[in-house]
Amino acid sequence: MVPAVYYNGRSSHATRVLAWRDEALLRWRVAEGADEWKVPLTEVEPSARVAGLAFMLRLPDGAHLQVEHDLLPADWFPRHHRIERVVDWLERRWMAALASVVVVVVSLLALFEFGLPWAADRIATHMPRAVETSMGRQSLKALQGSLLKPTTLSAERRVHLQDIFRRFASHLPNLPQVQLAFYDAPAIGANAFALPDGTVVFTDALAGAVPDDDAFIAVVAHELGHQAGHHMLRQVLRSSGVFIVASVLMGDVTSMGGVAAGVPAFLIDSHYSRTFEESADAFAFESLARQGIDPAAFVHAMQALERTHPELKGEKDLRYMSSHPLTEDRIARANAASQRFRATHKVTSSH
Amino acid sequence: MHDETMSSGVYLPEMDVAPASATTEARRFQFNGNARDYFRIWIVNVALSLVTLGIYSAWATVRTRRYMYANTTLAGSPFEYLARPIPILKGRLLTVLIFGAYSLAGRVSVPLQLAMAVVVAGFLPWLIVKSMMFRARYSSWRGLRFYFSDDYLGAYKWYLGVYFLMGIPFAVMLLFTLAGTPSLTIIGVLILLAGYATIYPWIKGHQQEWMVENHHFGGKSFRFDTEIRRYHGIYARSAGVALAWFIPCVMMLGGIMSSVGNHTPSRAMPSPYILLGVYAIMAPAYLGVWTFVHTRMTNMLYNQAHLGPYGFRSSLEYWPMLGLYLSNVLAVVFTLGLAMPWARIRLARYRAERLEVLGDGDLNDFVRDAFAHGEIGAAATEMDSLLGIDIGL
Repeated sequence: MVPAVYYNGRSSHATRVLAWRDEALLRWRVAEGADEWKVPLTEVEPSARVAGLAFMLRLPDGAHLQVEHDLLPADWFPRHHRIERVVDWLERRWMAALASVVVVVVSLLALFEFGLPWAADRIATHMPRAVETSMGRQSLKALQGSLLKPTTLSAERRVHLQDIFRRFASHLPNLPQVQLAFYDAPAIGANAFALPDGTVVFTDALAGAVPDDDAFIAVVAHELGHQAGHHMLRQVLRSSGVFIVASVLMGDVTSMGGVAAGVPAFLIDSHYSRTFEESADAFAFESLARQGIDPAAFVHAMQALERTHPELKGEKDLRYMSSHPLTEDRIARANAASQRFRATHKVTSSH
Repeated sequence: MHDETMSSGVYLPEMDVAPASATTEARRFQFNGNARDYFRIWIVNVALSLVTLGIYSAWATVRTRRYMYANTTLAGSPFEYLARPIPILKGRLLTVLIFGAYSLAGRVSVPLQLAMAVVVAGFLPWLIVKSMMFRARYSSWRGLRFYFSDDYLGAYKWYLGVYFLMGIPFAVMLLFTLAGTPSLTIIGVLILLAGYATIYPWIKGHQQEWMVENHHFGGKSFRFDTEIRRYHGIYARSAGVALAWFIPCVMMLGGIMSSVGNHTPSRAMPSPYILLGVYAIMAPAYLGVWTFVHTRMTNMLYNQAHLGPYGFRSSLEYWPMLGLYLSNVLAVVFTLGLAMPWARIRLARYRAERLEVLGDGDLNDFVRDAFAHGEIGAAATEMDSLLGIDIGL
C-alpha cells in the first residue's frame, strides 16, 4: 500500500488515501474509513516520470490520484510513456547532462556553420528574380536623398568608367543583369557596394581615389563577385534564419533573453558576411586574371581605400566585429593571386 | 504503516464539514524545484530538440513546463501542466512560417511588411484570447482546470480599440503646433504628455481587469477591483524611477563620449567598443525601470483579484527583484546560457514565496466547472511566446 491523495474531479477536496494494486485493479481507501474505490488499471492514465514530481494517475470521470514521486511501484504501469522513460533516465544522470552540453555546442555549431546556410541557399535558388529586384530598389530608395546624393563626376569620366565596366562584365559568365551607378556620398566616404537587383554603387570619393582603371576594375570585380553569387539575397535569408532560430531557442524566455540573444545573432551574421566577402575577393582575383589584369590592381585599390579611411588601420583586435576580412589578409591573398598570375603569364608568353 | 500520519487531517469526501483548524491564516504558494534537477532536465531536452531538428522541442516544452508547474504548490497540492505535445508542435511550425514570412517581407518591400504588421496587429487580440484559453485550459489544481472565457469583443476593445484614443492627444498637439507660435507648441506638447499620462495607465488597468475577470476556476469567476487611480500612481512613480536611472547614466555616457570621441572621425561608424559601452551603461538603466513597472503591475494584478471568498496578496519588492533580474542576466550572459535553469528557478521561488491566498475558506469549496472544454490549438500560445508578449499572469 502506498499513501496517495485522491481528488474526485468534482471538487477541490483533497482526500488522503492508501492505494494498492489488486491484480488488474487499482484500489484505494481512506485510512480509517469505510470508503473504498476501485478501477481497472487499464483505465488509469499515469503522468510521465519527471525527477522529483509526484505522479498524477488520471482516473475515469476526471478524478486523480496523486502519488509521491518515489512511492509509485514500478510494476503498476510498466508499459506507459516508453520514450519519456528513456528521456527521464537521461535526465537523472550528470554524465548525460555533460554529454548534452557537448551535443548542444556541436549541433549549434553545425547548424549555424552548415545547416542554416545550406537551407537558406536552397531557398535562395528558388526565389524569383523579382524578389531581388524589389529588395535592391527598396535599399536604394532608403539610401537616396539622405546618404546618396547625385554624382558630381564629369560626364566624360562617367562614360569612360561605364564603358570599361560594361566591357569587363560582358566577359563574365553566369552574371545576372548588372548596372553601375555613381553617387556623391560624403557620409559614406570612398566605398562601393552591390545591391541585390544587380546595381553596383560607386561613390564619387572612391572613383576619385582609385589610382588607375585596373584598380577601378578590381573593385568592380569584387562587387560583381557579390552579384554572381547572389550574396545579398543569401545574406538576408541567412540572417532571417538566425533570427528565427534564436527566437525559437529563446522561446520560453522573457524579454531579457531576447536582449541577450542579440549579441550572438550579430556575431553569426558578421561571420556569414565575412565568408561572402572572401568569396567575392576570390571571384575578383580569378576574373581579373582571366581578363589579363594582374590581381595586384586589387592591392592598389585597397591601398587607395586605406589612404582615404585611415581609421580602418589597426583594427586587428576587432576581427569578429567587422564584416570584412582584415585588410592585411586581403592584401596578402591578392599578392598571392598576383604571383600566381605572373607565373602563369610567364609560362604562356614563353610558349 | 503510514496510518499514524495519515489519520491526521483526513478530509472525508463529499461531507461539507468545516475543519476545526484555524482557516484565517494566509496560504502561501511554495516552489520546491531545485536548479540541479532542472538543469539536467533542461539541458537533456535542449540537446534532444536540436538533434531532432526541433521536432522533439514540443515534448521538451511539456516536460520543462511540467517541472515548473508541479513544483509550485498551494496548500500542499501541486499545480499541473496538462498540454499535449502534438498541438504545441503544430503551433510552433505555424509560428515559424508566419514569423519567417514577416521578417523576410521587411527586406523585400516595406509596404508588404506594413501590410503584414497591420494583419498581425489585427489578429493580436484574437491571439491573446486563444493563448489565454490554451494556458488556462491546460493548467489545473487538485484535478480542476482553469478556464478563460472567449471574450473576443473585450480583447479587441482593450488591446486594439483603446490605443486609437492615444491618437487624440497627438492630434491636439499637431493642431497646436501647426498654429505656429512657440508658446502654443509648448502647450501642445504638455497636452500630449498629460493625455498620455492619463490614458496609458487607464488602458493598462483595464487590460488587467479584462484579463483577470475572464478567468474562472472551480465554479467561480475571478473578480477585480479596478481602481484606476492606483495605476496612475504606479506610472507616475515609474516616471520618477526612470529619471533617477537615466539622468546619471546619460551623464556618465556623456562624460565617456567626450573623452573618447575626440580622436574618432565623426563620419566613420563608431567603434564596436563604444557601442558595447553604451549598451553596458544603458541596459541596467532600462532593466531598472522595466523591473519597477513589472513588479508593481504584478502586485497590482494579484492584489486586486478575488476568487469567490478568497483574495490574493503579492508582495514582490523592487530591490530584491532588480537584484534577481540583474544577477540572472549576468549569470546567463557569462555562462553562455548555461545558467538559464538556475535563473528561472530562483525567480520562480521568489515569486511563489511572495504570493499568498487570503480568506476564510479552506480551499475545498471549488467544484468542477459546468463549461464543456473543447481542445484549443496551441498555435496562439506559441505565437505569443515567440513574439515575446509578456502577458504577466
